[in-house]
Amino acid sequence: MPRIAKLWNKLANPKNIPRLFALILGLLLIAGFLIPIGLESDQLYTRPAPQSQMDAGLAIAPYDRGGEILESPGITEAQYPENSENLGWINSYMTPIAEALKGISPYFGTSICASPGGVIDEILYYTRGFDTILESSILMMAFIIASWLAINFTMDRKEEKGKGDIKEDVKRAIASSDRIASEVEESNRKARAKQAKKEFR
Amino acid sequence: MLIESLGGDLMGTIPLGDIVLYLNPLHIFLFVTILVFTALIAMSRTETQVEAMFGSLDENKVAVGKKEFKHRRFLAIICGIATAGAMITGDLFNFTLFMALIGIVNIGIVSAVKQVEVLNSAYQYGLIAMMCGLPLFGGAAMILAATGTLSLIELATIPASPMMIFCALVMLIGVCGESGIAPFFASKAEMFRTPGSPFILIIHLSSLFIIVRFVEILLTIL
Repeated sequence: MPRIAKLWNKLANPKNIPRLFALILGLLLIAGFLIPIGLESDQLYTRPAPQSQMDAGLAIAPYDRGGEILESPGITEAQYPENSENLGWINSYMTPIAEALKGISPYFGTSICASPGGVIDEILYYTRGFDTILESSILMMAFIIASWLAINFTMDRKEEKGKGDIKEDVKRAIASSDRIASEVEESNRKARAKQAKKEFR
Repeated sequence: MLIESLGGDLMGTIPLGDIVLYLNPLHIFLFVTILVFTALIAMSRTETQVEAMFGSLDENKVAVGKKEFKHRRFLAIICGIATAGAMITGDLFNFTLFMALIGIVNIGIVSAVKQVEVLNSAYQYGLIAMMCGLPLFGGAAMILAATGTLSLIELATIPASPMMIFCALVMLIGVCGESGIAPFFASKAEMFRTPGSPFILIIHLSSLFIIVRFVEILLTIL
């Protein structure tokens, strides 16, 4: 029993919690090796097989999703196609600059220099757009917290206003030690006087 | 298990592309409750802690400054809205994103505090929240790999395979760590020991609601 009590007490210390969490997570992930992997081949958000577009010699190789610019939609699947009426049109779109670059360079698909519509993922910005909004709002909250802390300097929390200067601090320390010394001397003198009075009696 | 059998009859959906929020009586109840609490928190003012001084009749007041108050109120409202969103979401990945948003905002609410112990425990909670990224998003990704979809309405009709159960367990660990339930409560419980009561309360409230919703999701997909 006392051992369990000690264990509970250790759990009450915030410092041990991340370690405990990491341990449990690690054990669970190791146990995951024993689980038979059952992958579904009928995926909703598909990617072409690696290198297949390279071998086919497509100009925007790893990101070619088919379709013609403003003429026919590209290939995109959606869970609920009835909610995404313009499915595939973003994937097939490219800016005129991107279109020109595509003709010049065979490696355009691997770069993000001209940000063509075909490279921007339709899943991210259309069918699952709400997720993208949430992701960027997580980032925004992180920046708000960090910048608020940076502006208000709450990390320097022991200092009061106007106490930042080291020279001033030293001066203040000397003054206070002087004051304490004089107080001690004063009280010493008083005590001695009392003692002298007592002895006199 | 079917969606209808858990939270009552399906009352309607809010389609946002592939992410379809669905409403049933349980979700609406949780959603409205958390929004009402958020509104109350947005209107209320913070408490001031009064500490009796030892050896004298003086008292020490730990109050919240105006700047800090505004910062915390903003983050508390965001936390309430994120929790409300997680209550009605119909997509697994969307749920994990809401969860991550709640986690970071929880740290933000206590980040402006001046008590060192509170900041230290918030740091420890931050470490857990960072680690939780792996099980939360990894679990959702593995469920996508195992079933080919992320929509809860579709997942409800797919029978559970061993891999799905494992993924659900991984996600459960993530949610447990992020919402700080036992045995990971200590770092989050220490974070509450600071003035600014209503804003601190939303940290607690959001974890309670998230746990309820996640249990419902687990029962739905398995």
